[in-house]
Amino acid sequence: MNTSFLLFALLNPIFALLAAPLYMALIRKVKAYAQGRKGPRLFQVYYDLRKLLHKEVVYSSTSSWIMRFTPYLNLSALLIASLFVPLLFVPEPVGGFGHIIVFLYLLALERFFTALGGLDAGSAFGGMGSSRSMSLAAVIEPSMVVAFAALAFVLKSLNMHEMFALTASEVLPLSPTLVLVSISLFIILIVETGRLPVDNPATHLELTMINEAMILEQAGKNLALLELAHALKQLLLMGVLINTIFPIGLSTELDSGKIAVSAVLFLLKAGLLAVVIGLFESSLAKMRLFRLPAFYVMAFFFSALTILIEVFA
Amino acid sequence: MYLLEAFVYGAVLALLSGTFLPLLYRNKNARKASFGLSLISSILLLVFAGTILYTGKEPAFPAFGFLPGLNFTLATDRLSAGFILLIAAVVPGVSIYSVEYIEHAKSEARKDLQTALTNLFILAMLLVVLAGNMVGFLFFWEIMSLSSLLLVLHNYSSEENKKAGFFYFVMTSLSTAFLFLGFISLFRLTGSAEFGQLEYPANTLTLPFLCLFIGFGIKAGIVPFHKWLPYAHPAAPSSISALMSGVMLKVAIYGFLRFLLSVSTPELWWGVLILIGGSLSALLGVIYALKESDIKRLLAYSSIENIGIILIGIGLYVIFKVEGLEALALLSLVGACFHAFNHALFKSLLFLCAGSIVHATGTRNIEAFGGLVKSMPSTSALFMIGSVSIAALPPTNGFAGELLLYQAFLQSSALTEPLLTVLLIIALSSFALTGALAAALFVKLFGITCLAIPRSEQSKLAEEVKKPMLLGPAMPAALCILTGLFSKQLLSLAGWNFEFPDLLLLGLLFGIIYAALFLIMRSKNPARISETWGCGIPSLTPSMEYSSAGFSEPLVMIFKGIYRTRIVHKPEYLDMQESLFKNGRVEIRLLRFFEEYLYTPPAQAIDNFSKLVSKLQNGKLDSYVLYAFIAVIILILATGGLV
Repeated sequence: MNTSFLLFALLNPIFALLAAPLYMALIRKVKAYAQGRKGPRLFQVYYDLRKLLHKEVVYSSTSSWIMRFTPYLNLSALLIASLFVPLLFVPEPVGGFGHIIVFLYLLALERFFTALGGLDAGSAFGGMGSSRSMSLAAVIEPSMVVAFAALAFVLKSLNMHEMFALTASEVLPLSPTLVLVSISLFIILIVETGRLPVDNPATHLELTMINEAMILEQAGKNLALLELAHALKQLLLMGVLINTIFPIGLSTELDSGKIAVSAVLFLLKAGLLAVVIGLFESSLAKMRLFRLPAFYVMAFFFSALTILIEVFA
Repeated sequence: MYLLEAFVYGAVLALLSGTFLPLLYRNKNARKASFGLSLISSILLLVFAGTILYTGKEPAFPAFGFLPGLNFTLATDRLSAGFILLIAAVVPGVSIYSVEYIEHAKSEARKDLQTALTNLFILAMLLVVLAGNMVGFLFFWEIMSLSSLLLVLHNYSSEENKKAGFFYFVMTSLSTAFLFLGFISLFRLTGSAEFGQLEYPANTLTLPFLCLFIGFGIKAGIVPFHKWLPYAHPAAPSSISALMSGVMLKVAIYGFLRFLLSVSTPELWWGVLILIGGSLSALLGVIYALKESDIKRLLAYSSIENIGIILIGIGLYVIFKVEGLEALALLSLVGACFHAFNHALFKSLLFLCAGSIVHATGTRNIEAFGGLVKSMPSTSALFMIGSVSIAALPPTNGFAGELLLYQAFLQSSALTEPLLTVLLIIALSSFALTGALAAALFVKLFGITCLAIPRSEQSKLAEEVKKPMLLGPAMPAALCILTGLFSKQLLSLAGWNFEFPDLLLLGLLFGIIYAALFLIMRSKNPARISETWGCGIPSLTPSMEYSSAGFSEPLVMIFKGIYRTRIVHKPEYLDMQESLFKNGRVEIRLLRFFEEYLYTPPAQAIDNFSKLVSKLQNGKLDSYVLYAFIAVIILILATGGLV
């Protein structure tokens, strides 16, 4: 362990955890504007979380330890995953933190237990959500792995810290292959965070429910933890996309001034991305469940194309 | 070193006496002692294999004369030591489990026989791995096949089991036939029955390669030779399923590796063939498993998937070796072997837990389970560990093994051949799809089996099994977690220092963060217990829950090309002319593609041919005299022609 990584391990998760809910709110705000509403204040999401954290927890009488265990496990998994994506500065990699496959499987761990939590209460909604979530996750997985493989092919490393140290240090990082991968990464971001056209995070209608259905039986602080984990996942995937295509300002050294600059820049870039996501969601209707694999193939296509270009060029 | 070999002799002796003890004394204590002996033998083997892996020593054993000109030799190197370690890791759990499990067999005689055969089966598998030449290999291979066949047939009175046993017998004989062919063609080439380095041009090795690939493939359960697995496993006792799936399939992998590693210059198409076969097995195995609602058949299909993953690693090894990328070749090979080891652990764990669940509920149907996490808490917790490991979630051993293979895939940018890269991308994406489908599969299996409200009376009344049946699976469960956490350290102990994430660090951090979150979030007011919201209906009933078939429905829809259905008419008529209809059945069922298109036609052809031949056997003396006469005439003509 070196000091740079220790400091990173302290700062990056806290920064990510604090910033994550903001972008949930921002996307909601953009969608509200697009629909001609005003929408809740940006900081409402923090008040909601605080309210939830102070409310009592209600468990279903059919549920077991899985339901009690899942919220903590999910947030822990995502907090560890936040050590994999450099948001403030790029540390020297330590002990495999930053490995892309470990990162992807930490997300899989979160999904696995969320799905089990959905089945635990015995409600048909939860089961439906788990079933759909695991099915869709299975279909997107090849696209995800190939997209990250494309990143690894282009940037010649399996470690995101090394990768993004490379993109950040380039003066003009916009290589055509990285743009192609970014399209895939954007689709993955949409899919993994359960946004339109895959899932509609704003409703509780049976027909559209995937992610919301699985956490329907969760209450109080457990719900707050799950929502935080979800927001964190969104922020981390946004971070991967931003660092790939628009890494300007990401500090590669341990310097308080530079870290502050990259924090502010990241907040702005993520804000921009959130606006784009909000507009993207507003412009699309939800797809039929069984049409979705075709949408995923698009992500697969762009990443496979990237690898082929890297190999043949 | 003399001492090292003594460990092997001790283990063989223990297993041999374990085989004869229950047959001689025929009581409960003898059975207990017999399993105790297999436990002791596995401890001896553990020390032996561990030492060889660590030091790299290759102890020499004297040859045993068997028949004039036929010698058995025993030999060990790091490869066989790895697989001995695998046996030694699985056997303790199975032995302890069996002490209690075997007592639920129907009669005393069956209990004794099963105990004896279990020991014989373990011994045979051990000796296959230890065999230093082809003679010993094939001899013990046959003992292994036959003892497992008898164990599959333990409940021989049921019609279903008879069919399963017959199916297994045909397939395993076919496997042996191909192995004989492969070894004989190798013998013709080298003139020696010893396993040694094969310094021959690869094109002369085509026939042995193909024969051994098919022979070992049948035994390992590669698609399309996999159909015996989903039949044999539900028929076999669960402890035997654990051994067959955990160890016997790996013994076939060992045999294949023994050949492949001795070839100095393999050809590229070998690797491509193995990779494609592996990817296909992995993907189809898990896709078929998703549709399955028999818990043991589901696990059998999942074994096919995992064998596919191991073959993907072996295929990558051959491809990288041919392309001259030695480091990557080693990475894939170690990945394949490590996954074999891990699969042995978590699959034996899952089969043992499934055995407990089937024992407690009296059914294998997943749709009838549910709520076991409350009635069988310990078994469910162990089942959970198995599910997490097999779904390859960090920081378990399942993840560590697949991670090695992912690394081999992702570092393949050094390949110069563009077409190979295309192949690898396709293989990588199917590998990723397999992994994610396996996660979905085990969410379904664990979720439907253990969570929510019991779906049947049996499941509601299920009771936790006795201590040995918990302690047994607890051993592989502990090993699953430990080998995962210490994967980097274990690999470097065995001499492989790959650039590999330290899962111990990850696991520790996980524990710390989890504990911290738990402490921060701890609140004074207790949680309220209430009912699940049932859309206004007063109380939830099991029929409102999601079922196993419902859970996999989206995936079945997505892959509906693979799950084709077939409508079968089975009319019965009163008369020979089939004009007076008596009664009939029409069923819609899943198309059994491999069975109907690959297995049945040759079987039908053989059947028809036998009918033709049996017409000659009409039992009349005069026609036999005629046959003898014709035969003599033919002989005279033939020899006359020769002279």
